[in-house]
Amino acid sequence: MVEKEHMKIVIVGHVDHGKSTLIGRLLYDTGSLPPDKVEEVKKTCEALGRDMEFGFILDHLQEEREQGITIDTAQIFFNTDKRDYVIIDAPGHVEFIKNMITGASQAEAAILIIKAEEGLQEQTKRHAYILSMLGLKQLIVAVNVFDFDNFTQEKFNQLNDEIVDFLGKIDLKPSYVIPISAKLGDNIANKSEKIDWYSGDTVLNSLDTFALTKRNTDKGLRFPIQDAYKVEDKRIFAGRVESGVINKDDEVVVLPANTKTTIASVEKFLEEPVKAEAGESIGITTKDPLFIERGNVVCKEDDMPKVTDTIKANVFWMSKQDFDADESITLKLATQEVTANIEKIERRMNSSTLEEIQRDDNLLKNNEVGVMVIKTNEPVIVDNFNYVPELGRFVFERDNITSAGGIITNIELEKI
Amino acid sequence: MIVVLAIDALEYKKVLEYNCENLKQHYFGKTDISEFSQPRTMVLWSSFMTGENKEKEVLGEGNKEMWSKKWNLDETFFKNFKNPVVLDLPGYSYELDVHEKSRKLLKEFFETEDKDKKLQTKQEYNKDAFDHHKKIKEQFFKALEEDHDFVLGYFSVADVIGHLNFGDNLVMKMIYKDLDEIAGQVKEKADKIIVLSDHGMEAVGVFGDHSTYGFWSTNFKDLGNPKITDFFDVLGNL
Repeated sequence: MVEKEHMKIVIVGHVDHGKSTLIGRLLYDTGSLPPDKVEEVKKTCEALGRDMEFGFILDHLQEEREQGITIDTAQIFFNTDKRDYVIIDAPGHVEFIKNMITGASQAEAAILIIKAEEGLQEQTKRHAYILSMLGLKQLIVAVNVFDFDNFTQEKFNQLNDEIVDFLGKIDLKPSYVIPISAKLGDNIANKSEKIDWYSGDTVLNSLDTFALTKRNTDKGLRFPIQDAYKVEDKRIFAGRVESGVINKDDEVVVLPANTKTTIASVEKFLEEPVKAEAGESIGITTKDPLFIERGNVVCKEDDMPKVTDTIKANVFWMSKQDFDADESITLKLATQEVTANIEKIERRMNSSTLEEIQRDDNLLKNNEVGVMVIKTNEPVIVDNFNYVPELGRFVFERDNITSAGGIITNIELEKI
Repeated sequence: MIVVLAIDALEYKKVLEYNCENLKQHYFGKTDISEFSQPRTMVLWSSFMTGENKEKEVLGEGNKEMWSKKWNLDETFFKNFKNPVVLDLPGYSYELDVHEKSRKLLKEFFETEDKDKKLQTKQEYNKDAFDHHKKIKEQFFKALEEDHDFVLGYFSVADVIGHLNFGDNLVMKMIYKDLDEIAGQVKEKADKIIVLSDHGMEAVGVFGDHSTYGFWSTNFKDLGNPKITDFFDVLGNL
């Protein structure tokens, strides 16, 4: 059976700008909603003299999920001819950011919805900032038109300029800016007849043009070493292949020492494989007798992670005890463990209100996100979170308790 | 303008569950109706407008006859206003025909064994309730635009629909949302607002039965755990 590809997307925007209507529309127009519920809501809306509201159906689905009636977890599905889509949803900002940073869920593309009549509001900007923080590059801005009579191409162009200008400042570049009506379904799955001056793609078509995150096996090799064993006269280095493929006779580089060697064998309990790919726990032996220890990462020369002692990261603090930027803390990234000190906190945000924190201190409190420059006592081997998440994500531990999750999204800024 | 949203069977727990911010206003809570032997609509609204426990008197009229009971303006706190309008309130300006029909259909629904007949009755029952709701809504919004110092709108939809559908969360949520939006629109017109129910409702399977407390909220004062007769003074003295 060929598995249909699927993409994880996230939809964000001001609470009143039509997010749930858009989700409802995407589901409705792709035939993903239970028809009997649609009919029931339609009829009741009519009976009450209201317009059809998809929000009720979404709430209903959510409720069924909470009661465990449907098997799916907190995710909503729809599909196009090209692929399946999963909308990642979370009950609130805190959960959403936490899930993204800790790896419970990771979006590959985003839709930012903006009400045409209101434009860029503070809340819209904060949501955009989250997308920027997560390093999302595939972005659709959906300009949701409520009142067609007063919406002209000129207004759209003006808003488009404002949006692109603002997003540019926070390092986001929308792939598409699309005028839509979430309520009536214009330019979602079907082209709008009312917005006849817009000749671009619909939301669904645009989503279909986005690239899927590479499968882990298609990326460069990352084999972080967990342990070294001596079995008879062989030294075996054990770990989990996080990405890429490793073969017998491959030329590899061991970081951080940058030592080159050749794979003598790939070992698996009770098996004698010649290769292993992402997801497999294996052991290797090398042709040269090398000193390799826990925390080292085996890679290949054509695709290497970064070795650095300075990283810029977004850190989500999730401990009731405050973090003081002056304290040293343990940083764990894959199998690496180092001591970290904070060089500076550039910006802090309350993950619930998404407001920037203006406090006159150097603390990060529970559920706050800090953009910080971290200095490690030894070099660490890192990747961009959006390339190899396993090496782009870390935790802070204090007294052996995980206190924060962090992601590295802008690796170009790093220096040794 | 002072406005009372009198909502039959508005359930405290549902207002919280559905997060109906407009219905909650600033201060909200439960009413104490424990002085009454049962949570009866006609008894409770009668006691509300007269400021006296009218259980004995109303029940004395007879089970069927009590629905025709009408209090005089002088017996109610409405007399304190110059130009009040009171829409569809049981015991005062109640549209008897509509509500009688509802009760008749409800009885038929429970009495018939025939599945098709049951469904048909339920549909007719629901339709009547929604149509009446739309009509009262219209009259209510019209009254809000007029020159009244007091407007009371009585909305029965949560009770009538609730009796046959309270266990259907989807439908009930839509009704509460609609009521919440009505409360939201009142906010823009009125100075002082009270939202009040006679009693709440609890689920019995898919059906609903009256619960033994009501709901109140105001935008001006914390009333604690008031009796329904307390509103006579609260509203009379505004």
